[in-house]
Amino acid sequence: MPIVAFSLKDLEREGYPKAALEELVPKLGIEIEGVDGDEVKLGFTPNRPDLLDFTGLIRAFDNFTGKRVPAEAQYRIKNEPALTIGVTQAVKKVRPYIAGIVARDVNLKGNRLKYMINFTDKFADTYGRRRKKLAIGIHHLEAIKGNLVYDAVSEGTITPLNEKEKMSFGEVMRETAKGQEYSHTITGSGGKGIKKGGKEAVYPYLKDDKKTIALIPIINSEQTRVKEDDTDIFVDITGTSANAVASSANLIACSLIDMGADIYPVNVLYAGSKGAWENPSLRYREMKVLLSGAERTLGVHISESSVIGVVNKMGYFASQYGKSVLLSVPPYRVDVIHKQDIIEDMAIGFGYDKIQPLPISGSSVGLSDDLIDLENRVALLMVGLGYTESINSMLTNETINFDDMVCKYDKSRYVSLADSKSLNISMLRTDLLPGLLQDLSISTNERMPQRLFEVGKVFNMADGKVTESVRLAFVSEHSKTNFGEAKSVVEAAVRNVIGDPFRIKEHKHPSYVDGRCAAVVVNDELVGIFGELHPAVLECFKLEEPAVACELTLVKEMKYEG
Amino acid sequence: MHEYEIKILQALKGKKELGFDDIVVMSGLPKDSAMWAIENLSQAKVVGVKRKGASEVALTQEGEKYVDGFPEERLLKEVFKSGKLDIRGIKDQIALAWAKKNAWIMIDGGMAVITQVGKEAAKEREYPARILLQKLASAGPGAGAVVQKNQQLIGVLAKRGLLTVRERSVIDSVAPLQDPARLLSSEKEAGIGTLTRDMIKSGAWRKERFRPYSINAPVEPLYPARLHPVREFINYVRQQWLEMGFVEIAGPIIEAAFWNFDALFSPQDHPTREMQDTFFLSNPRQISITDMEAVEEVRAMHELGWKEKWSENLAKEALLRTHVTALSARYMRKLANAVNENYPQKFFSVGSVFRNENLDYKHLAELHQYEGIIIGNNLTFANLIDSLKKFYAKLGFEDVKLRPSYFPFTEPSLEAYYYDEEHGDTIELAGAGIIRPEITKALGINRTVLAWGGGLERFMLSARMMGLDSIVTPYKNNVGWLRSRPNIKV
Repeated sequence: MPIVAFSLKDLEREGYPKAALEELVPKLGIEIEGVDGDEVKLGFTPNRPDLLDFTGLIRAFDNFTGKRVPAEAQYRIKNEPALTIGVTQAVKKVRPYIAGIVARDVNLKGNRLKYMINFTDKFADTYGRRRKKLAIGIHHLEAIKGNLVYDAVSEGTITPLNEKEKMSFGEVMRETAKGQEYSHTITGSGGKGIKKGGKEAVYPYLKDDKKTIALIPIINSEQTRVKEDDTDIFVDITGTSANAVASSANLIACSLIDMGADIYPVNVLYAGSKGAWENPSLRYREMKVLLSGAERTLGVHISESSVIGVVNKMGYFASQYGKSVLLSVPPYRVDVIHKQDIIEDMAIGFGYDKIQPLPISGSSVGLSDDLIDLENRVALLMVGLGYTESINSMLTNETINFDDMVCKYDKSRYVSLADSKSLNISMLRTDLLPGLLQDLSISTNERMPQRLFEVGKVFNMADGKVTESVRLAFVSEHSKTNFGEAKSVVEAAVRNVIGDPFRIKEHKHPSYVDGRCAAVVVNDELVGIFGELHPAVLECFKLEEPAVACELTLVKEMKYEG
Repeated sequence: MHEYEIKILQALKGKKELGFDDIVVMSGLPKDSAMWAIENLSQAKVVGVKRKGASEVALTQEGEKYVDGFPEERLLKEVFKSGKLDIRGIKDQIALAWAKKNAWIMIDGGMAVITQVGKEAAKEREYPARILLQKLASAGPGAGAVVQKNQQLIGVLAKRGLLTVRERSVIDSVAPLQDPARLLSSEKEAGIGTLTRDMIKSGAWRKERFRPYSINAPVEPLYPARLHPVREFINYVRQQWLEMGFVEIAGPIIEAAFWNFDALFSPQDHPTREMQDTFFLSNPRQISITDMEAVEEVRAMHELGWKEKWSENLAKEALLRTHVTALSARYMRKLANAVNENYPQKFFSVGSVFRNENLDYKHLAELHQYEGIIIGNNLTFANLIDSLKKFYAKLGFEDVKLRPSYFPFTEPSLEAYYYDEEHGDTIELAGAGIIRPEITKALGINRTVLAWGGGLERFMLSARMMGLDSIVTPYKNNVGWLRSRPNIKV
């Protein structure tokens, strides 16, 4: 969830003091994440990037509170294109899409410029997949000389923002914070790109007649830096998805219009193709929603007389035709694709708190899952036998799962994780016992005897196939424990849980003392092992008293429906 | 008199004073029991007790890290190698301070220079602080002799936060204040102590009085074996679903990305699919998807909805499920192929989900989620709100609040939360919504599906339910905690 900070004073100036804010934001699905002095942090859902910008947020507030009524085609663009961007073959292969916006007479004073930059950064980090899919740059229009070329090279130079000296693109990537943070965006075309000077043209960049104005999507040039007194700006939007680039251009243009700007389109000319790609389009889409359809989804009756008011609150200009409503979707609503999106907005405009809950008719019978019933039965039996339940994570590592049990292991026999942020996690457990011994190892200061059990899932592999099974394991640690204690508990457990006739036979296992280890056999199949734990195992887990243990299979292989 | 007390008095017979260890040997009682009995006798002024102080030393987590070497030792090694080191390059200020304190180095013109003492220490590699820490680590708690001999150094290490010292007073020796022999004989005369089978059978108890026991004497604490609080919580939540007529479902935690993401309309370039949030598997790498019809439907849904190419190969990637909604997707699909079912159908599940996170006291890699779905004809958002509110009211959360929200697989969506006035605490309860029509269509369902779910651990943290200080605590399974843990307030 993207979080953006705003000044409470700025919000108050727009007519939304803190108390009003607190009341308003939950109705729009915005969360107050925290207040610190004059700063309020708001959390937004990822489907509404238009709200991340201060202007867009105020627009939504004003619509919702009725201060502003959406008009027909409110957001308009000037006819004559103000700039042309030429796109080369080289950049088409690494980051093909670019759109531009020219905005004149925009008011960037106060915190407005800061908000616009925060917004574009946050937008590119979330919706733009950390600038890979989409990134935005803002420039001072007057600093741009002539027309623009969007190109890719193997190396070039730029005077990056906040720097005095020219740097090579390679240096920017290696030495600046932005370069390091967004290095994942510079991938080339997967080795298939054209070569320049023997090296692949991996760096997309934007230049005017004189200089590089941006190393894309990393950093802009200091030479085109925007200040809050500037009134004319150029915005570049680049990315790997034409749809994302075009709709983002619309979204940003709407915000700039609300900041007083006149918007001029920018023509993009692709090398080797005729015609220009002109953005932003500021196109409104028409959508028709039947009132009965909305009612069928929401279970709420929105009357013909009130529906216009409801959708106006959500920013739609609308007209009503009999039993349906025709809405025009403003260009900044990049998330609205289906009728269901409109219907959700109708519910928000109506107010979630005003929706009358409706009981579902028809009865049904509850039914619990057999496996979970079994687990509960076994757990209660073990509690009856004086064992306390432990629940350990199914995630573990080779040291605990194998080494500390003095067992050897084979990589092909267990489920391993491709990548983990935690050093303690690398695989799924193959047995329950290591977890229980780990629990005892952090409890050596507690009073003896210590008796723990766990009922849970373990995962083993054979021939590339995973077997998920359900097991019971228990351990008893105290100075007087012995094989006999384990055997008593095993017999009680097997008798009451498995029920089938069973026999106990000699067994060898590296975790147990030789001659004090046995297997439980049911229908000629080995279902469990128990005995006195080997002192080498006790040593690995730093246990100071002798311990007996058992691991018993309850369900050999889980098979799921569905 | 309790039989343990009698055994203590028997041991003391004819003695002026007896050491505690001797009493244990002579009485044949476990240490705990002997202590308990002596305390009783002391309270009754039958014996006098001499006590001694004992320190229990335990390594802290920081201390455990130092067992293999102190930071100042590592620094010394480095300085020893090169003779001097630029102190601006030394990040570890603790190491620098202690190396100076030990007179291993001097600071001269911004350089750390090794001293004679330092050279010797580097050659010897016998840092007393580390050796003591190692001894304590291997001796475990109550390493009496080691502690006695190294009081001063222990004080230093405790100040550095490497160990904790707990002072306790223990029984050193016991001296009878009254004659044990006389007490023991009067014990015989003064009426029935322990009632025996013979006395009951013969009726001998009718002829004698029962000697009163001291009911205020402390007794040994008992810790009942218990279910784990997470199981208790899961069962509490399950019970609500079952009472509301939901059928419980269970499924695999190892899933194909298809059921966890693709079938739920999550775009293939979505950040949560990247390694950072999801545990992908290296063995097995892929899980086959057998339902080819569903694959084609899901492909069409993605390519139409997201306007990007959809890869079946990415959908096969094996992962640990990140939400139980994966299971709901499987069941929706199952129901699509079912015939003659009565609607509405209601399902729920409670299960483990996994997130690849940096672990700390607030973050776990394995958590529990619950989720319910209702599949039926003509179901509405108002129906969802009704069911959800009833569910949380049953759990003890009356007057749940709702706000709009967003989930990739539902629309309209909502979030339910509860403001706990008593504790000034907002509890986020659930995400909910109507499963997107694209998804139900792709899974072959021509009905409406309502869904809601949330995280179980949130309940456990809330002061209203259990008030845990950290979500990590219940999963550590420290035996002491399991024995004395808070109860669930339901």
